[in-house]
Amino acid sequence: MERQVTRRAVLAAGLTALAGCTGGAGSSGGTTTQTTTDSTTGATSTTESGTTTGTGDVPVAESQLPLEYTFNELRDAVHTGARKDAIPAIDEPVFVSPDEAEVDDEAIVFGIAAGETVKAYPQQILVWHEVVNDVVDGTPLAVTYCPLTGTALGFERGTTTFGVSGKLVNNNLVMYDRATDSWWSQILGTAFRGQYEGDSLRGHPLVWTTWGKWRDRFPDTEVLSQETGFLRNYGNDPYGSYNPKGGYYTQDSTLFDTLVKDGRHHPKEVFVGTRGQGGVVAIQEAEIADRGVVPAGEYLAVHHPDLDATYTYHNPEGVEFSAGDTGIVGPEETHRPDDLPLDRVMAFDAMWFAWVGFYPSTEVIA
Amino acid sequence: MISLSESVSQTRRSIDAAIRRWDSAAVIAAATVLYALTYLTAIGHVFTGARSFDLVVVADPLARFAQSTGTFLWEPIARVDAGIVGYLFSPLNTGLGLLLGVLVGLNLGVAYLAWRQPKACGISAGSGFLAAIPALISGSACCAPVLLVVLGIQASGLLLLAIDVALPLGVLLLLGSLVYVGRMGAAGQAA
Repeated sequence: MERQVTRRAVLAAGLTALAGCTGGAGSSGGTTTQTTTDSTTGATSTTESGTTTGTGDVPVAESQLPLEYTFNELRDAVHTGARKDAIPAIDEPVFVSPDEAEVDDEAIVFGIAAGETVKAYPQQILVWHEVVNDVVDGTPLAVTYCPLTGTALGFERGTTTFGVSGKLVNNNLVMYDRATDSWWSQILGTAFRGQYEGDSLRGHPLVWTTWGKWRDRFPDTEVLSQETGFLRNYGNDPYGSYNPKGGYYTQDSTLFDTLVKDGRHHPKEVFVGTRGQGGVVAIQEAEIADRGVVPAGEYLAVHHPDLDATYTYHNPEGVEFSAGDTGIVGPEETHRPDDLPLDRVMAFDAMWFAWVGFYPSTEVIA
Repeated sequence: MISLSESVSQTRRSIDAAIRRWDSAAVIAAATVLYALTYLTAIGHVFTGARSFDLVVVADPLARFAQSTGTFLWEPIARVDAGIVGYLFSPLNTGLGLLLGVLVGLNLGVAYLAWRQPKACGISAGSGFLAAIPALISGSACCAPVLLVVLGIQASGLLLLAIDVALPLGVLLLLGSLVYVGRMGAAGQAA
């Protein structure tokens, strides 16, 4: 593994993630999750809880998410990919019913099911905008997507909105909040410049799946409309294709230098990454799909066959679950993959280079 | 040694002559349209894959048309779907495409005229086209260096700077090339 920039020496990410660490760069943990289940849809939603401790309008987590770089190192690693707001965020999203959706069944969508609300955000729209400032089940959320790292994450945004700074770190989206113009790394979920420097956002996991699978699972879902307020060729992904996978999404190269080069896996291979109470772990997505259930330290990754997606839970007690014919078999009963009696954690798909770049000390399961 | 003003005068005479002849005028018109379409396709404003016949205009076109989305790129204010072909109309990018197209067209038209003059020498239609290449490349320089992504090239500061200056450089090359071929064309006519 070749490091591209120096980084502060840190203990293994699992140690830095211990709850109750002191604040500041490099500390982490303490973020807890709360899972709610909607009675009508059966959908579960998870929120990283915290308090509004920062100055201004952005609700931040109680403690900082894991970091393996100083803020100076992150700022030094910034590249400019575009001008600020040249990639315009969607501030007034419009949603339509599945019948009105202009999305192919095999197209990628990022789904969220929270309380009474079920929504799908087509990748073919987010690839042109990267941020949607939305409200989901009464909570203002920024739904974010970075095509260059293949990462989709939701964040609470409070009373402000987020925009696209045009900057990249490790080829990953750097957002800015319109309250203070602080810079937030999407994958780190943490601000590394500005008034909120050192604060982490409260994340909401999104489900990376296809439109056909999401619609079949949630027939009453809403879907983001192409009426974004901007005119784009939404049928075209300027970077490549996910169906079939091609272009940038399979190339060895990245647009800018990566933070580290780690040749253990293809740079664009998809891993499910999580960072929080149970440490920093990356699990090969294909491994999860193959085995159905993958224990990973304090985490448990479960494959949802209907959605071909991963749900990840915090499992500090190491309760044993296994993949059965009708669901996930637990000690007492069988559960739906999206409804295990555990706290769901913030986990997301990411290209290998992106995850290992930000978290070189990550535990890897492949 | 011929002065700049003389060169410009000769070029103007060559352009006038090229416009008056139907065959060279046709070359200018065809090259202008073809280049403008190529440029608009390169920046993604003309594309295939539309699914219907439709016209959509943004809510506030006057406020939107001058919003930059990258180097020499501006927000489209209307979308026209015509069967399988779609067109995102940005007045500034369409104007820029036509301006570049006219420069390429004049280069080719005057070069064609010079080629048709038996006593003109040292000139070929290819010279005008070669000068157009930097401008065409610059047209692909989208806001998130998509061209580099497509080609799998890792970006460097120098490369990004080169993309930024490619369009003005292309215009300069087209103007220089036009003066060059214009002088040759005028020489051919005088002889």
